[in-house]
Amino acid sequence: MKAADAAPGFRSALARLFTIQAAFTYERMLGVGFGFAVEPMLRRLGRSGGAEGAGAYRAALARQSRFFNAHPYLAALAVGAAARAEIDGAPPERIERLRGALVGPLGSLGDRLIWAGWLPACAAVALLMVAFGARAWAVAVFLALYNVVHVGLRVWGLRQGWRAGVGVAGALAAPGLQRSLELVGPVAALLVGAALPALLGWYPFRARWEVPAAAAAAVLFAEAARLLQGRATGLVTATLVLAVVVGVGVLW
Amino acid sequence: MTGATVAAVVGVGAVAGLDLVSVPQAMIGRPLVAGFLGGAVVGGPLAGLATGAVLELFAFETLPVGASRYPDWGPAAAAAGALAALRGGVWDPAWMAGIMVVALLAAWVGGLGLMTVRRLNAAQLRRRERAVEGGDARALAALQLGGIVRDLLRASLLTGVTFAVGERVARHVAQGWRAPRELADVAVLGTALGVALWSAYRLFGQGTPRRFLAVGTVAGVALAAGLLAW
Repeated sequence: MKAADAAPGFRSALARLFTIQAAFTYERMLGVGFGFAVEPMLRRLGRSGGAEGAGAYRAALARQSRFFNAHPYLAALAVGAAARAEIDGAPPERIERLRGALVGPLGSLGDRLIWAGWLPACAAVALLMVAFGARAWAVAVFLALYNVVHVGLRVWGLRQGWRAGVGVAGALAAPGLQRSLELVGPVAALLVGAALPALLGWYPFRARWEVPAAAAAAVLFAEAARLLQGRATGLVTATLVLAVVVGVGVLW
Repeated sequence: MTGATVAAVVGVGAVAGLDLVSVPQAMIGRPLVAGFLGGAVVGGPLAGLATGAVLELFAFETLPVGASRYPDWGPAAAAAGALAALRGGVWDPAWMAGIMVVALLAAWVGGLGLMTVRRLNAAQLRRRERAVEGGDARALAALQLGGIVRDLLRASLLTGVTFAVGERVARHVAQGWRAPRELADVAVLGTALGVALWSAYRLFGQGTPRRFLAVGTVAGVALAAGLLAW
């Protein structure tokens, strides 16, 4: 086991991080989950002796359960850093500033890296596999690909946060992370671009003319969605369109 | 259809719904996965996979960002995959169109349900505010558990209702469909691809990714032509 893994309660905190959004509220966002996740790493404070130690533990836990928001995977970085800062006895104001300062960057980074990059890339790989008849393997590969990065990010984040403590901002500038950010967008774009038309060749159409008809319908729909941007989501528009088509089909 | 089958579908939907926010955010709730699993428990994994793949295209629009409201695809896809599998391997476009309308509505309702769960979480938090502010670890654990139980109930209920309503709607649509069935095929894949296309443009339509999106699209068209020729 590496030194960083030997942080008190590292494994327990890591397991708890998977539930960080379980008690999500609009007031504290991930705050309660943050406190729940960091708690095993703070127990050392309570063991440090008498009423003073117990008080320090309770004060730290209360502080760590206040408002926090970030991408759920990268919140691990903040949990590790906050735990280290508490154990090292950093002043409470400094710890609160640290938590506050991490909210924006961790949210933005996670959104770009995962929601707008890795997730669409993995989904596109799976859809390409479906198009080529991969069946259950498409699901297995999707879950494996996605979760290697997902779980890896949580482990890396907690470890780096614990190592860096209040200096955690440096971890965000890690060359590997920055390079991943540069690469993930183009790779996802390439894969998504390939997967969407490929599905026209997979769908069990009844007649050949349906292929260009579906492609034309898709382009028309995308243009309608662009025009309706800000007024209706694609989901709402698609539901209405399909409901009308079903009505027409039945009343024909 | 037995009670055990319905329970299995509800179980898959519950796990898929729980995955989106509460635990573990491992994308078990993505339509491709939940649709496949929903179909598998009814004995038709491939029908479930195909339904999940179409719903996955709609889900490209969804970025589950923090406090924003977003659809919950897991329970909807699990129920839709199971409903597709009930057809016994026969691909009926009208049946599929009926399922899709119900599944899209269910995903939207699932997003509203998530907001309700969050408000209930807040109510529980207010009742335990003093304990949380006092650094009580047991209060935090109780809040986490409460949130998970509420989300599990939400997802189970949503899956059960979607499955029950969807079966009636799909049967009614399939039996009453009088237009050429090709219309349903074109509408289902056309709207799904349209949502995905628009979402891809929004995500990758600027800067370097835009060029990669264009190159990918050209490659995808060639792949589709190859698949059709094959």
